[in-house]
Amino acid sequence: MEGAPSRTPYRLIATQVSRHRVAAVIAFLVVLPWLTPSHALAANILIFGLYAVGFNLLFGYTGLLSFGHAAFLGSGSYATGVVMVHYGWPWWLAIPAGITLAALIGLCMGYLVIRSRGIYFAMVTLALGQCVYFAFYKAEAITGGENGLRGVNVETIDLLGWKLDFQDPITKYFVMLVFVAAALWFVSRLLASPFGAVLESVRENEKRAAACGYDVARTKLLAFVISAAICGLAGALRALHLSIVPIDSLHYLTSGQVVMMSLLGGMGTFFGPFVGAATILWVEDVATILTKSWQLVVGVIFIIFVLFFPRGIWGSFLHWLGRR
Amino acid sequence: MSETNIRRRKLLLSAAAAATTPFWINSVRAQEGPIRIGYPVPLTGPYAAEAKDQVQGAELAIMEFNESGGLNGRKCELLVRDTKLSPGEAATRTLELIEKDKANFIVGSLSSSVQLAVNNVAKERRIIYSSISQSDTINEVKDWSPYTFHEAMNPTMTAGAVGRYVFPKYGKRIAFLTADYAYGHEMVKGFQRAGKPFGVETLIDIRHPIGASDYSTFLPRIMSLKPDILFFCNFGRDLISSIKQAGDFGLKNNTRFVTPQLTLTARLAGGSDVFDGVIGGATYYWRLEDTVPSAKAFNDKYRKAYAGAVPSDFSALGYSSVRAILTAARNAGSTDSDKVSTALRQLKYDFTKGPEYYRNCDHQAVQSVLVIESKSKNMKDKNDVFDIVAIEKPDESHLRSCQELGHKA
Repeated sequence: MEGAPSRTPYRLIATQVSRHRVAAVIAFLVVLPWLTPSHALAANILIFGLYAVGFNLLFGYTGLLSFGHAAFLGSGSYATGVVMVHYGWPWWLAIPAGITLAALIGLCMGYLVIRSRGIYFAMVTLALGQCVYFAFYKAEAITGGENGLRGVNVETIDLLGWKLDFQDPITKYFVMLVFVAAALWFVSRLLASPFGAVLESVRENEKRAAACGYDVARTKLLAFVISAAICGLAGALRALHLSIVPIDSLHYLTSGQVVMMSLLGGMGTFFGPFVGAATILWVEDVATILTKSWQLVVGVIFIIFVLFFPRGIWGSFLHWLGRR
Repeated sequence: MSETNIRRRKLLLSAAAAATTPFWINSVRAQEGPIRIGYPVPLTGPYAAEAKDQVQGAELAIMEFNESGGLNGRKCELLVRDTKLSPGEAATRTLELIEKDKANFIVGSLSSSVQLAVNNVAKERRIIYSSISQSDTINEVKDWSPYTFHEAMNPTMTAGAVGRYVFPKYGKRIAFLTADYAYGHEMVKGFQRAGKPFGVETLIDIRHPIGASDYSTFLPRIMSLKPDILFFCNFGRDLISSIKQAGDFGLKNNTRFVTPQLTLTARLAGGSDVFDGVIGGATYYWRLEDTVPSAKAFNDKYRKAYAGAVPSDFSALGYSSVRAILTAARNAGSTDSDKVSTALRQLKYDFTKGPEYYRNCDHQAVQSVLVIESKSKNMKDKNDVFDIVAIEKPDESHLRSCQELGHKA
């Protein structure tokens, strides 16, 4: 098998893309701002794509369906925003702050939920996610409460004397892309490592993984924390992109949205979550301008894909490529 | 080094400097195409009806501006975007409006959190934003910028005017039923602030979650206290359900019902019996036309444009905010943010409800506040549902002072 020549060009493309998956995703993301109707939408796709990739690490690769992931996106946003607004931290220190808080909350939540399974896991994560929502909602003095946090403003970025205008949408996009690319590379590396194989074995058969000598609970917890940290990075970037942190970034609907994105794009595939995020945000963006019944359009598309493409858009595409 | 080399280097430097300054962007924007006003409002969701009125008001102002020749021939167009009542969505749409559509001004929104989000995005990019939704926070120095204007009333003004009318008339023992979010909290503060000189006593302030449908657990507690006045500090559907249920409990017999914002849309949705005798504040009510000439003129234009419909508070706000910006752009002879901001600060206008102006320190529109009472008898037609019982004249002393807001006077 190793190095065997592929029979058709399709399969050749498929193997090349899956071999260099990070490079392929980044190549797509580099041209994305010129494909979308607006640069702001491209930045949202970048952020929500990363959010979905983080979520998919747990859902698609480890087989744990969480309904509380907004807690990580939101806390990442808030931590980044709060240290910048209230403590005057520079943006490059604020991003790690966002990742750290999200990972910490992930650790606490993970510790509590990791022993529950299936629907119970989903319910407990949902409940804990709501706890985080109310904690931030009530901490009005720091988070702005219902009004949200304003003033996460970055005008210019100073890279050793080289000044970048962060208000310029393209510059902003590419600065964020650097972080997203690093995170994607990390996720890809992680999945290709023995740890990644353990994750998939836990998804496929928990008992057998345990019988093989792997600590299932610890593996799940670690996956949970890493997933939270990646979603936290997405949140941190969102705070910088929008210059505000809305309270609904912690809302359970935001948790539901990422489930939808992963399913639509193709769970358990590397690029699927990105495709799902891009599709949903793109369709919403265009449909909202065309009609007030945009929810109907998005709903119908979602139903069609769930009914006829259970592997998701990207999953079905890979399947089709593989069969050629 | 030769002289031409130095000159070329200087040229390159100044070109680079010009390319990176925001002034450049503004001046390019100013010279090309029509004037664009970005208008993020909640077209879908619980405030869709109000948003439709906001759009109609703004479109009327733009129609007038274009028919009267525009800005030296430059016409204006309105770019309406749906915020879905979400600050994140609103921020994205505002970014789009500024970056892609090259909007010269942003007007709109209908929610405290959404307007603060839009304001933050616009002010960072030095684009004028005029908010047409109630908020006290937007006046404060932390959110304010030279490009931030607040056309709507704020809770301090609204609750203040209503409070000053009802306390001497109906009594000093008061109770609150409050939606637990910024709008409700700010209104309670406004009433208590207005009540201080009258020596009012707050018996209870019950907070209910936003979107609650059952108020039966709260009402007996209020009833047992027998307050003179019950303030409903909530909005939209919450207001209608809570007033209806309180009426059904028989609370109306001994207690006067008051709400900070009594709107035509809520009254028409709730019906005359539910709202009978309820007192509230209003930015605008069409019967103002009996006494104010500019209201008459505005109503006539509105009726003509929209098949006999009368404007609501939201139509009036949409109209006057857009007209104020376009008038200021004409006075400044430009759409440059700084020039128009200065022109707006100098503007004295009377578009819908008598004289108004923007206070210099916080750009709050100083305007009259109507106090209205809902009626069920002697109605001229289906839209004649309120009596104007008092009009508080525009008065800066009813606002929080500039120092209190953190501005240098």
